[in-house]
Amino acid sequence: MEEWSLSNQAPFETEIAQLLVTTLNLKVEPAKIPPLDPLFGEGLGLDSIDALEIALVIHQNYGYKLRSDDPDNTTIFSSLRSLCEAIQKNRTK
Amino acid sequence: MSKRWLAQRERGHRWAYECMLWVALRLGRKAARALLYPICIYYVLFSWTASRGIKTFLGRVLQRPVTLTDLFCQYHAFASTLLDRAFLLAGRYHEFDLTIRDAKPLLDRVDRQQGCLLLGSHLGSFEILRATGLISRAIPIKLLMHQENAPILNEVLGNLDPTMLDSIIPVGEPETMLRAKECLDEGGLVGMLGDRPLKHEKAVPCQFFGHTAQFPSGPMLLASILKVPVVLFFCLYRGGGRYDIHFELFAETVNIPRENRAQGLQEWTERYVHRLEAYCKLAPSNWFNFYDFWESDK
Repeated sequence: MEEWSLSNQAPFETEIAQLLVTTLNLKVEPAKIPPLDPLFGEGLGLDSIDALEIALVIHQNYGYKLRSDDPDNTTIFSSLRSLCEAIQKNRTK
Repeated sequence: MSKRWLAQRERGHRWAYECMLWVALRLGRKAARALLYPICIYYVLFSWTASRGIKTFLGRVLQRPVTLTDLFCQYHAFASTLLDRAFLLAGRYHEFDLTIRDAKPLLDRVDRQQGCLLLGSHLGSFEILRATGLISRAIPIKLLMHQENAPILNEVLGNLDPTMLDSIIPVGEPETMLRAKECLDEGGLVGMLGDRPLKHEKAVPCQFFGHTAQFPSGPMLLASILKVPVVLFFCLYRGGGRYDIHFELFAETVNIPRENRAQGLQEWTERYVHRLEAYCKLAPSNWFNFYDFWESDK
């Protein structure tokens, strides 16, 4: 089961998982974050301060500025996978 | 951790609020204030959980036995500020006699369009900020607020001024702090209350009047991440139509190093709690956290 979840992340998802863990100082192995689990509330248990920090670091590293009025926010923030999809779609660097 | 203030059912019925509103706006503030006496006596007699919370707080601040008069004064101050929200939302600012202290550091920053975090508490009334003219300066001002608290009252009052809702950033959503950031980036003011931790929020235990209570980590984290100045505000109700509004530049920058976040957060939150204590002593009757604030020192 463990092996399966390790290989379950796409390479870019592993990169973002690593970024989340470093930025937020999370006490989990980046490779063990299930890509479909919710990031907020349940799952990884992030809060809106964490969301702000993620938004800042994503803007810095990938040039994609997350906005509070984006109608797709619920989807974007719903899991590691959807966050990665949004970054790949909107990144400028 | 239990959030008892959230668990407490909103006391008060829509018809009662609407009736009170009618009296206030048609018959005037004096008539409405006369009604506060029987209402407050009712609360002294029947609102035991709230009264227990008030007694614990007052006992620790005043260091003497708490009397029924103390309890009554607490409810009366609260009810007065609640009633005044109606006049404020209706734009009837002439009803009030405001003393504004030390607003200069804040106004300088507002004029420079430098975003500021306005940090208050449930000591006194924040709604009176409307009457200070800050809001009419055409700068964005948003308040982070828990909307689950008193939804009926907020709906009844919201009808008076529908723009009220535009100035609220609901908490507990992933975008909450992003919204706050965008407002600050535009040179706006973001108001937060620093004494009640929110659902899912990391809390910081601090000594408050000699006993450990939990305080929210959000305000100090937000200030440190966005590097914005923090200005404290306390709008103390002083009886009649009088309010003393205190502003205080708390920090130009809140510097919490990432590698030492827990410790930095603890120190900065304690500094805020010390200031909160000082203002509590100035106006103990303005403490409007009517629940077991210390959660019995768990």
